[in-house]
Amino acid sequence: MAAEAASDPVYTLLSTAVDAAFYRAVYPDLAEARVDPVGHYLHSGWREGRDPAPWFSTRGYLELNNDIGAAGLNPLHHYLMQGWREGREIRGSGLAPRYYAGRQATEADFGWSFDPGAAPRPTPPTAVPRRRAAVPPTPGDRAAVAVELDPAYYLGMNPDVASSGADPVEHFLNSGWREGRDPNPNFSLADYLEAYPDVADAGINPFAHYLAAGRAEGRIAKRNLGFRYDVIAALPSMADRLARVAARNEPPRLGSAADLAAAFAASKCGLADLHVTFSHDDYTTNLGGVQLCLQRESRRVGELGRDHLHIFPAWAWPTVRTVANEAPVGVLWNEALVGYFAPALVAQALGEALAGVAPGRRTFAVHSLLGHAAQDVLALLAAAGLREGFFWLHDFASLCGGYHLLRDDVADCGAPPPESPACTICVYGETRRAHIGAHMRLFEALSLTVVAPSQVALDTWRAGGEFPHAGEVVHPHASLTPAGPAPAPGKGPFRFAYLGVPAPHKGWPIFRNLALRFAGDPRYAFLYLGKQPMPGLPIEAHPVSVSEDTPLAMRDAVQELGVDAAMIWSLCRETFSFTAHEAVAAGAVVVTGPDSGNVAAFVQAGGHGRVLPDEAALAALFETGEILELARARRNPRLHDLTFSALTVDLLEGGRP
Amino acid sequence: MKVLCYSSFTFSYLNRARVLYQTLRRFHPDWELVALITDEPPAGFTFDPASEPFDRVVYAKDLGIPDFRTWLFKHDVVEVCTAVKGPFIHQACGWGADAVIYLDPDTALLSSLHPLEEMLETSDILLTPHLVDPNDERTAIWDNDLSASRTGIFNLGFVAIRTSGEGARFARWWNDRLLAFCYDDIPRGLFVDQRWCDHVPALFDKVKVVRDPGYNVASWNLSKRKLAIGKDGAITVNGVPLRFWHFTKLGPTGDLMTKTYAGDNYPVYELWAWYKRQVAAVTDPAIPEGWWAYGTYADGAPIEKRHRVLYRDRPDLQAAFPDPYASGRGAFRAWLATEGG
Repeated sequence: MAAEAASDPVYTLLSTAVDAAFYRAVYPDLAEARVDPVGHYLHSGWREGRDPAPWFSTRGYLELNNDIGAAGLNPLHHYLMQGWREGREIRGSGLAPRYYAGRQATEADFGWSFDPGAAPRPTPPTAVPRRRAAVPPTPGDRAAVAVELDPAYYLGMNPDVASSGADPVEHFLNSGWREGRDPNPNFSLADYLEAYPDVADAGINPFAHYLAAGRAEGRIAKRNLGFRYDVIAALPSMADRLARVAARNEPPRLGSAADLAAAFAASKCGLADLHVTFSHDDYTTNLGGVQLCLQRESRRVGELGRDHLHIFPAWAWPTVRTVANEAPVGVLWNEALVGYFAPALVAQALGEALAGVAPGRRTFAVHSLLGHAAQDVLALLAAAGLREGFFWLHDFASLCGGYHLLRDDVADCGAPPPESPACTICVYGETRRAHIGAHMRLFEALSLTVVAPSQVALDTWRAGGEFPHAGEVVHPHASLTPAGPAPAPGKGPFRFAYLGVPAPHKGWPIFRNLALRFAGDPRYAFLYLGKQPMPGLPIEAHPVSVSEDTPLAMRDAVQELGVDAAMIWSLCRETFSFTAHEAVAAGAVVVTGPDSGNVAAFVQAGGHGRVLPDEAALAALFETGEILELARARRNPRLHDLTFSALTVDLLEGGRP
Repeated sequence: MKVLCYSSFTFSYLNRARVLYQTLRRFHPDWELVALITDEPPAGFTFDPASEPFDRVVYAKDLGIPDFRTWLFKHDVVEVCTAVKGPFIHQACGWGADAVIYLDPDTALLSSLHPLEEMLETSDILLTPHLVDPNDERTAIWDNDLSASRTGIFNLGFVAIRTSGEGARFARWWNDRLLAFCYDDIPRGLFVDQRWCDHVPALFDKVKVVRDPGYNVASWNLSKRKLAIGKDGAITVNGVPLRFWHFTKLGPTGDLMTKTYAGDNYPVYELWAWYKRQVAAVTDPAIPEGWWAYGTYADGAPIEKRHRVLYRDRPDLQAAFPDPYASGRGAFRAWLATEGG
């Protein structure tokens, strides 16, 4: 059939217009029989009154043009050959609404929701609003679009189209453009229609218009607003953000004082030696760099024969609480979940359990105050008789509710004065007073030694606030130990990799745009190492997942894949970057931007790569080929082992192993 | 210096005005803030001036404009809210302030306007031009330079005067002109109050053209102004502090104009996002969208712009129908239905 079809000019022409997916969808009898939609329409479908595409009604064409039916001509063939030139009218298929409704229902199943900290899913295309009936594609449109549409990009950005087996040009011409699916990375349907209402009013395919006329008229194909525009456009207010988080969290079943008493009774040391910690979540179930460190801290506490009480908000909450006893907390006792309780009840139960017990080595550390009220923390510590302890700078929540210090989620702010114009307009600005106030309450009531995982974190914190504190310590979460030379690299293009969560604040759009810009350049290969699939992008995706059991999975993957350089371009100042350490441990260098905090400091201090002033400088390195100087073959790198800290335990008397 | 600052608006713009007055209060707690309102509150909305971020309200109907309702009928909402700026500033010159400043309700301060007070020590009239740098690109010239040529060199979203000397003389002249000629009629050389002010440097002494790019930043001059936010927390325009922004055309039209000229200067979008959040936070749902008490005839039918233009151009109609809002037999509205087309 295919050989016969290829030599048949009528078949070839019809194949440019018959929408196979539509034909199969609206005529299930044919789908089950597995017929070729083009051949079927050519030979019998049109005679049976079947419609070849959503935009073309076979019967409608015959009704509007009596001479075609009288002559016994195939309506679609006639329209494609001469009808459109003659200005003949057509009518859309009556089955189209049902077809599109079915498609929308299917696509709605891929719902997405905002999840702080998680990688955003690609923005679904926005359907082009219809002002009037869409004009069907002409053979001229088809020819021009076939040349300029990027099939790899189109199928990559639209996995549903790729999986349907549809031809990308046909799909775009027949339905994709109306669904807001851009034909290549350099043309935006939404931008074009927004800027040129005459095109929207005419109901014509904007890309076809651009190719036929708009380009020559100097019309703009796509606005270059930058990825930060998209982030700002989608930025929810703090009120909306909190409402969204609140709506996602079911109130937990609250435990009783008896539950707590029973847990505390199972003590390792008769409750004499106790380590109390506070953080923003349950580190035993949520995994990330800091959580893995907390697991190590907790394990080491256990090895020292001490009890460990960990308190975390029952609901992940993006700001400090300001009202005492407002929300329940989760309680981990020696790494096991006891349950969820009112904070005051935990303080009371702990006080009762410790009553009459001669205190031994009792310590505490506040890893995060997010989700906690300072009053609750102070009440619990008072119940344990604790006043001297540690406060960790895992982030900058002590300075602002935007604890990454990333103004409006797009730019490092440097924690300017809360009353500054920058804080006035920032979405996090309104949280500053509450955050500084809650932390000030802690610092004034307790004797806290501040522990920073990096000097840059400590310097930022010092510059951004004036909290009375007992001391300062810089204690990195991990360090490198030389482990011999890396194996000789293989031949091939320069391997540039993005490691970890592909989120805007980690610089993912910068990497993606770089990969798109240099796609097909034989000098470079772009790799992604992480948990997300990367369909449709000129990026090799390699699944990597770090866990307590495989803490070195990222380092091992970087080494195994022969990554030459890793782009770790956090927009916000990292207090500590495991990823940068993992990359260097594996023999790669790190390329980073100016505001990445510990990443830039680590790179500069150890000569581990390049700190570039901006994104233009990064692109220039690839344009000129200067980046190739960072290839393994030119550096002969060494490998390193990573040694992880046990956080607070390392700072306790007798804590180090 | 004792300063009175006012804005002119209807209840539809109360949300924007609230944002403006909040920012004025923040930076100038000592200024007297006055709301000039050409409207009446809609049913279902309780207007409590004491809880608003301004000190007092002046209703346009109380400005003593002769035959106020008839005079008002000749204007659409934009024209009349602009026209009343003249009588207000003229009368305010006699209220004891040393200076009067007008700001459009869709402006907002991002830092102190104190330098304007200093300018008023030596100048009597301050105006901000739409453009302080010429455009070079053809599209930008069409959109901005030639637009300013048609609608006025100065943007009258801002004007500041001393209440004496040339400032008072300007106020009197502006009052007179706006009471009689405050229409959007570009072919006849009128664009509400703005085209009149093209004459100001010629007609008055002690006029200061504020060419500092930190004042009155808007989509029409963004092509030549770059916004930056420093790690010190300062917001600057072309390197100088941002004083006030003109958030003109809140909505899709404003968004499109902003995108066209801001490009990838993302702090502009941060600023707009802030403004939209502020406006949303003070929007009262009890005020219907597009509300204007003077927008309808007595029977509730909307007054079309062409009806207003016809009425203002025909003294005979004004004489025949002294109450143009009336409906029913013998009313202007009935005459329109049969003879007015």
